[in-house]
Parts: sequence; structure tokens; C-alpha cells
Amino acid sequence: MNTRVLVAMSGGVDSSVAAALLVEQGYDVVGATMKLFCHGDDIPDRPCCSLDSINDARRVCQTLGIPHYVLNLESAFGHDVVDNFVDEYARGRTPIPCVRCNTFTKFRDLVRKADGVDSRYVATGHYARVIGGELHRGVDATKDQSYFLWGIDRDVLSRMLLPVGIQSKAETRAIARRLGLNTAEKVESQDICFVPDGDHTKIIRRKLGSSAPALSPGAFVLSNGTVVGQHDGYARFTIGQRRGLPGGYPEAMFVVAIRPEDRAVVIGPREELLGRGVIAREVNWLVSTDSRQAMAVGARLSVQVRHRAPAVPATLIRDDGDEIELALDEPVAAITPGQSLVLYDGDRVLGGGIIERAAGNTRARASLPVLAA
Amino acid sequence: MVLQPQARYIDAMPEPIYLDHAATTPVRPEVLEAMAPFYGPRFGNPSSLHRWGREARAALDEARERLANCIGARPDEISFTSGGTEADNLAILGAWRVRRKEGRNAIVTTPIEHKAVLGCVHQAAHEGAEERLCRVTADGVVDKSSFDQLTRPDVAVASVMWVNNEIGTVQPVADLAVVAKSRGALFHTDAVQAFGKISIDANAVPFDALSLSGHKIGAPKGCGAIYIRRGTLLEALFHGGTQERGRRPGTENVAAAVGLAKAAELTCAERASETTRLRALRDRLERGIRERVPDAVVHGAGAPMRAPHIVNVSVPGTDTESMLMALDLQGIGCSGGSACQSGSSTPSHVLSAIGVPRELISAAIRMSLGSLSTEASVDRVVEVFAKLVSKARGLQPVA
Repeated sequence: MNTRVLVAMSGGVDSSVAAALLVEQGYDVVGATMKLFCHGDDIPDRPCCSLDSINDARRVCQTLGIPHYVLNLESAFGHDVVDNFVDEYARGRTPIPCVRCNTFTKFRDLVRKADGVDSRYVATGHYARVIGGELHRGVDATKDQSYFLWGIDRDVLSRMLLPVGIQSKAETRAIARRLGLNTAEKVESQDICFVPDGDHTKIIRRKLGSSAPALSPGAFVLSNGTVVGQHDGYARFTIGQRRGLPGGYPEAMFVVAIRPEDRAVVIGPREELLGRGVIAREVNWLVSTDSRQAMAVGARLSVQVRHRAPAVPATLIRDDGDEIELALDEPVAAITPGQSLVLYDGDRVLGGGIIERAAGNTRARASLPVLAA
Repeated sequence: MVLQPQARYIDAMPEPIYLDHAATTPVRPEVLEAMAPFYGPRFGNPSSLHRWGREARAALDEARERLANCIGARPDEISFTSGGTEADNLAILGAWRVRRKEGRNAIVTTPIEHKAVLGCVHQAAHEGAEERLCRVTADGVVDKSSFDQLTRPDVAVASVMWVNNEIGTVQPVADLAVVAKSRGALFHTDAVQAFGKISIDANAVPFDALSLSGHKIGAPKGCGAIYIRRGTLLEALFHGGTQERGRRPGTENVAAAVGLAKAAELTCAERASETTRLRALRDRLERGIRERVPDAVVHGAGAPMRAPHIVNVSVPGTDTESMLMALDLQGIGCSGGSACQSGSSTPSHVLSAIGVPRELISAAIRMSLGSLSTEASVDRVVEVFAKLVSKARGLQPVA
């Protein structure tokens, strides 16, 4: 009997090829698509939830000759991911639901499903690698998704297979074409899966009501307190954002802070966007206990505060277990509460946490945080 | 890499066991044989006046007579449909749309009906009908006094299934039909799971309309029939020609009608012996599970009458989805509650209507016996099921 692996298949090309590669490698592959949310009647083109994606995944499994199941994880995903997403926006922060989905849904709930069918391994289409029981960046630097995986249980690493992490996206597509998989030419979505039209305020409105503070008018203010305009809800803004701000300033203005307590969106010039330090909570380490012990205060490492931002050198200056603080060698722009802080040693992921806030301001270039992988 | 388009995982399975006869059944060889000429030389359209038409017409008329004979009906009371769902739609919507004009706007049904019935009732409610749901007992049987209370003279149609498809409980259709008739309401019963399992006789029970499905009894998918008692007026769902007395316009599916009639005859002829055989297998299955898993709960087990082919069982500390997957990967095909379009299991509305606790609903497995079931297969299912249960209970459930 071959070793069994349960592959999480989203209906996209990456997980399709992941499944195909595992079949080729001789595993006993079982495909599973997680049904995570239901749009109801909101999206007329999608009569039942993510039906098209489920159909695509099933078709791939038929081509590969492997069984396919649909796992209903709606309720767990609802509280672990969607509710948290809404709460974070209500707190004036900018969450990354994919991180929590990886932590709680794919690499906890799905692993339990894998246990139920005697599956030794769980596989996904992530561009990342597991080497010697440790997580590493994917080979394709432009597709690397290790940033989203820092939160998983370290013990799961030994059961993870990430077959596309060792190749480029182009190679993945080439394999899909060669095998004639129906998902070969599927366009990559940058949307959050449960926010398919890109408007995240809809789900906040649905959960919290349209009179929620996060969606109610508030003031644009400068950091000196001067009111310079009115916005229609701070949940529409994120740190580093330029779009939708009052104009008429000699230099470009950015959102530099969001204050849910008085619904203010603070705007300012580029300098005010820079941070020399960062504090993160919900810290999770992915390295062995020995390596972890070597990571004492004063340790030098690389930190990445946004997807696709370069990792920058930093020093661990405080470690309270669940909360850590890092001093950055160079200032970094738009350190955004709710985004992830990921710690690297080269390509090796040491761990990470959720950004609580920046510590200290200075000068650097701004870019926007991304919301989805 | 060479991919074989066929499902190679099936080949690797140890002796697959099909335990989902309530979902569908294999087409019987005799049925396929009876249908074959109509995909060959006897291809005519029954509405044509020439010899090809006459040949087809003769086959259709004969099929109608033979099916009618199976349920004590007259041939003109049988219309062929695309299946049980269409028959339910025609009966409920067709009856309500005629009778609301007479001031009868209410529909009485039960919360444990098949979605084919509940969907029609909801559609009627959307169009202005008043929807009334009877109480059901914890054993999954309609409460007669509740039905009596709700079936007032403003009721257009009352619809109660004969055998519940999820838990196999037999409903007191004969009594309910009498009550409905006494209030001037039309009485419809969905007999899709009842046919071949219990005696159905239009002369003994005064139902006005009854739905049948082919693929549950060894005929192909996509065919069924509706019995409509003489004098019962239904508004057609489709519009066009005059086929099936205008109740179901569209060129008749002659082959399917012939196949359905053949399957119905075979099923009726074997009813006594087959129900005895299935009941024994069901008891063996249930006993085996209870012995190996003493806290297993069999839903509807306390009902006064149960169909012989369905066992719906919940084991505390397990979940339907994982159990179905694990059973399937062991080559055993069962089902959960009603399947959603996506293929994921959704909590059963039937179990929730009869007050089964949430943690047992999410653990329910329906095993349904039929022509492919044997003592050996039942014994193996008990073994595998018990093993999977103890394994599942060692695992943490997903929140």
C-alpha cells in the first residue's frame, strides 16, 4: 500500500499540479476541496458557494484518477478566519485571512481530516518548501508564499508536502498543460476567497451592520490634530494607502495611522510612514527548540513585514514569549497592525507573529500591504 | 507521466460494497434488455400515425397498463415523468395552482419530506401559498393529531411521504389520506422509497396523487411516473403538445417507460421475498453495529413501522464527513444527510426536525440495503465500521 496524502485542492492550477506531481511520485493521493463559505445569492454567477472551484478540482481528480471529496469546514472557517477578519477591521487593523486559514483551517482542521482517513501527509499548492522539518521560502522568489505560513503548528511540518515549492510558476503551468489539466490556464486570483468582488466592507457590513463605527463617517486628521476632511469609514483604509485621501498638499500624503477610538484616519507625508522598530504578538516559532533557544535577545535575523517586501536585517531586542520587539537596521515603511511579521534566516523561516504596531519613525519608501496570497 | 482517465483507485479497493440503494440502484439486466429495441428498430414517435408510430404507441400503452397494474391503478391514471422530482412538482404545484382559485390557499406537509417536496411547497409559498408543517414524533413519524388540526377546509393539497428516505420510517399515509379527503383537500404521497418495500394499492388507500421514481427500483435515472386519480385536476408544469393527456407535454420517452414498467413488475413480484431478505440483513447490520458500538444510535428505530432497507446510525464522537470518506476509501459506499450541490454534506433537515441532538446529526450515516447486499457484505461493513469508529474516537473533532 502506497503512502497516503490528502491534497487540499482549491480548484486552482497550483494545487492541481501538486496533486498531479504526487500521483506521479507514487503516493496514494486523495483530493479534497474545502468548502469554506457560502455567498448565498450575493454572487449571481455562483449559485452555490464556491461551486465552480469545487467542480474544477473534481475534474482534475477525475483526470488524475484519484478520489475527490468536498469537506464542509464552513463553521470553523467562519469563526477562525472570517469573524477575525471583521474584528480586525473593526479595530482599525488590516488582517491577512490567508495566514489564519493556513494556521487553523489547512494545517489544523484539514490535518485532522487527514488523520481520519489514515493519511500520513497533507499537501497544498503553496510555493514554499519543507527541508529537514523546517520551512523554507519557495524556489520562485516572485511566488514565494512562506510569508503566509509562519503560524502553523511546528509538529505539522513533518507531515507537509509542498510539491510546487521547488519550481517556478511557469513550470507549474507547463506541467498542467502537459497533463491537459482543465485548470492549466486559470487566472490567478488576488482576491480574498470570501471577498470575491474585492470589496471587503460588504462582509463587515453584513456582520456588524451598516451603522458599525468602522463604516461610519469620521475625520481625516494630520498628526498634529488638525481636521482636514471627512471619510466614510475607517475600515476602508489601511496604513500606507494614498487613494481616497484629501488633496491639495505639496507632497504625497499617506494613511499613517487609524484610530478606531475616535474613528480618525491620520494622514501624513512619507516620513511619518516609516518605522525603525516593530512589535508583534501571537508569536509562533517554526524552528526546533534548540534553534529557538539560540534566538535570545540580541539575535540577528531578517524580518519581513509585508508579502513581497524584502526581508530586512534586524535585532531581537525584547522577547516576552507571546510578544517580541525588533529593532530594524534600516527604517521600513507602512508597518501595519494586523499584517504578519515573519522572521527569516536566509530562506529558512524561523517564525512570525501578528504586527501589533511600529516602534519609532524615520525615512524610507512606501508601498501598500497586500491582503491576499 | 501517463495518466489513465479511469478511476484507478477503485481497482485498488478490496471488494467494493455498495450500501447506498436509497440513493440509486443499478439498472437490472432484464430492464436494459426490455428497453433495447426502442434504441434500435422500434424508434418511432408514439404520436405518429404510421407503423413506426404505432409500434412505439403500443409499447407505451402497454407500459402504462403494466405499471398501473402494479399499484391498483387504471392506465389513464398514470403519467410518465422525468422522475420523482417532476412528479412531486406536478402534484403539489399543479394541485395548488388549480385549487387556490377555489379559495384553498394552504398546503400541509411535514418537515421530514424529501427536498423535492419541500422545494415545491416553498415555491408555492413564494407565490402566495400558506405553508403548514405538521409535527413529527422523535421516532420520525407524522403526528396524526397535528395533521388533523392543520388540514382545515382551506387546504388545497396535503403531501406526506410514504417512506422517509433518510431514516426509513413508514408514515400513516392511509389514515392521513382519509383525513385530507374528509376536508376536501387533495392528498399526495411521495412513494419513491416505498415502492417495492410496502404494498401500494390505489384501491385500498385514497391518495389522489402519488410519485414514483425509476432509478430507485432498477430502472434508469431520468424516468418516473405520477399516479393521478381520475377526476383530479392538476395544472401542467410544461406547455406544448397533448402527450400524457396534456399533463406532461413532450414526446414520450418510450424506452424509459418500458424500462420503468419492467422494473416495477419485477420489483412487485419479488416484494414479499425481497423485503423479508432485506429485513433480515438490516437486523443483522443493526445488531452487528450495536454489539460492536453499544452507544450507536439508530434513528427512527422506535417507529411502529420501518421500511426494511434503511439504517441511519449516529455514533457519538464521530463526524459524517470523515466517516463517509474513510468508508469510501475502504471501498464502502454510504451516504450522509442530503447532499448539497457542491457535494459537501449538510446537516440533515430530517434529523433536525425529529429533534436529534446536533452532535448526533453531524455524525449520521445512512446505510441502505438492496439487490447488491449480502450477509457477507453486511458482516464486513460491521467490521470496518466498528474499526473506523474506534479510530475516529481517538481523534479530536474539528470545532
